[in-house]
Amino acid sequence: MKRDRTDAIFAALADATRRQVMRALSAQGPSTATGLAAGLPVTRQAVAKHLTALADAGLVTATRRGRERLYQISPRPLTDAVSWMADLGARWDERLAALQDHVAAHRRHR
Amino acid sequence: MERGGPDEVEREVIVPAPPGAVWPAVANPDEMSRWFGADAELDLRPGGPGVFRWPDGTERPVVVEEVDPERRLAFRWLPFQRTAGGGVVPLPSTRVLITLDEVPGGTRVRVVEAPASRAAMPRLRSSGRALAAVAP
Repeated sequence: MKRDRTDAIFAALADATRRQVMRALSAQGPSTATGLAAGLPVTRQAVAKHLTALADAGLVTATRRGRERLYQISPRPLTDAVSWMADLGARWDERLAALQDHVAAHRRHR
Repeated sequence: MERGGPDEVEREVIVPAPPGAVWPAVANPDEMSRWFGADAELDLRPGGPGVFRWPDGTERPVVVEEVDPERRLAFRWLPFQRTAGGGVVPLPSTRVLITLDEVPGGTRVRVVEAPASRAAMPRLRSSGRALAAVAP
């Protein structure tokens, strides 16, 4: 990983509220700023600002959902503890969705 | 709204089937291979060794810790991250606990993955080489 990229990641995670946003996103899975703000002691506007900073550092990715953006933890490899746990969470999001599909398909074919 | 500790990943989904129908999908290695993202080979008993094999040949050892049919499956393994170049970066050993609970509409499948605690290690170390690989 490039040095400037690493610096950007650590700068983004130096802020306590941003780390809180990161952990909430890791716990809740893909969320909008509104959805995250509901469980955090900060305004939606503040959460949106932090999400933009996290996205600039490559820690989260955004996709459009109606008028809002849906954010999720970026699965890019990092060695930081917060991020590798987040990465494990992203894997479980994929696995549990696949498990739901698998059980549904299995039951249809019986 | 953070669930679990900061070093813990917790996820849950509701699967629209009773625990009796969900358990084989979760714990049977052949069925597990369909959703885990890797081929699973597990000896389903406490201390039972196993391995996850990814399509690219990456293999990670697994040790089963708890098997309580239709209720709980716990295993310890060595997760990893992939680098942009396709390399594999090993992560510290973690314990995965999968619990099934009957709820209206089906079964709640909850996963908690957390760094493996050293407290549980001596019991596991006695079982040989595969286990040594999963020890921190």
